Amino acid sequence: MKRSRRVVLTMMGTAAAGAVSMGFVPRNDCGTERLLQRGPDGRPTENCRVTYGGFGGAPYRLHAQGHAHGGG
Amino acid sequence: MRRITCPERNDWRATAEAAGFDFHTIDGERYWDECAYYALTLDEIEHQIEAPSGEIDAMCLELVGRAIDDENYLRRLKIPEAFWSLISESWHRDEASLYGRFDLSFDGRGPAKLLEYNADTPTSIFEAAVFQWTWLEQAIERRIIPGHADQFNSIHERLIDAWKKLGRECRLHLTGTTESAEDAGTLAYLEDTARQAGLATTLIDIEDIGWRDDGSFVDLDDRAIELAFKLYPWEWMFHDAFGELLAKAPTRWIEPPWKAILSNKGILPLLWEMFPGHPNLLPAFFDDDPNAARLGASFVRKPLYSREGANVALVSEGMAVVEQHGPYGAEGYVRQALAALPNFSGQYPVLGSWLIDHIPCGLSIREDENPITGNTSRFLPHAIL
Repeated sequence: MKRSRRVVLTMMGTAAAGAVSMGFVPRNDCGTERLLQRGPDGRPTENCRVTYGGFGGAPYRLHAQGHAHGGG
Repeated sequence: MRRITCPERNDWRATAEAAGFDFHTIDGERYWDECAYYALTLDEIEHQIEAPSGEIDAMCLELVGRAIDDENYLRRLKIPEAFWSLISESWHRDEASLYGRFDLSFDGRGPAKLLEYNADTPTSIFEAAVFQWTWLEQAIERRIIPGHADQFNSIHERLIDAWKKLGRECRLHLTGTTESAEDAGTLAYLEDTARQAGLATTLIDIEDIGWRDDGSFVDLDDRAIELAFKLYPWEWMFHDAFGELLAKAPTRWIEPPWKAILSNKGILPLLWEMFPGHPNLLPAFFDDDPNAARLGASFVRKPLYSREGANVALVSEGMAVVEQHGPYGAEGYVRQALAALPNFSGQYPVLGSWLIDHIPCGLSIREDENPITGNTSRFLPHAIL
């Protein structure tokens, strides 16, 4: 017998799952980089330099309208 | 193996959408198709699909072991030299694979033949694991198919088990081109199974991955990405701007970098070289190999890197009789013996044999009026009868 015993989805197909699966995480105001800052005590309060957008270029290189998707 | 026409469930669209299967119809064209199903016998499943899939997987792993530190193999596969160490280290660290899908030609009258291996970013897993199972249960209930029907399908629970092995102690990030409804659906399903395995998860579009100058890939919350499932191919990662940073980051990727060796149609001639005459392989050669002439004037030409049938050509007596256009082929081509797909009432099915954690555990079937399977080829359910 090859039957799958029980298939349960806990996230897909629900309104709650919709919000989660959108991956909505607000992008912080870091921008492309954020300089080191120091607080009154001289300690660094931020130490982030982050750049984005370094992945994901292939669909645009391969298909003019960026239609290509990663799955196959 | 038979193709059996049958009535559709009159509420299948609503059932699909309730389950989050929003891409059942693509650009107005039917993708999920339950106007028919394929019936296979248990003997066909066990001895012609399941067991050979395990054997093919073992052969592929043997090929990786041989190729991983061999410049000759890596050059023949056109893998950029800058990533050889990344790939080698992932293999020697035994970084685990989650899944893969063999595409097979099979008509029930002879051994299944490997057409290609989707080793890195296979899709249609939600349809295979969940929706065709829902169809089976409801179709039996509604007497659309016989009550004793079964299905080769334990994908769902094996995914959950595999996630437990892969990383319960980590947060899993899942990433891909989330603008694509199909890819977003696949990611959502895999996220669901990872959550059921107890992993904390975050979904992030591939373009939103950041590089922090302390040497980490990060998400939009500035959280380091420790374990990442990507529905985005290695050959694209290598050529993206962040590709050069891959070796510097501690991120563990699923699928791991060594899978880049298998996600390459160059494995077809290499497997034939290692296992000539194997019943589940088709003769294959690199297009620039003089031995390719052994195939004669009729063969299938495939780019080393291509997706969804793009740039694949069926060549008969030296003429390309069917050809899919596309942007691939710069790295070269392979030739594979022309083994015509079976014709069931004017439809050409390709069988997708799914492996989860190297265990053959499910079947998906795509069919088309065109003998080259592409992105719009329809998904039909199957039953064991």
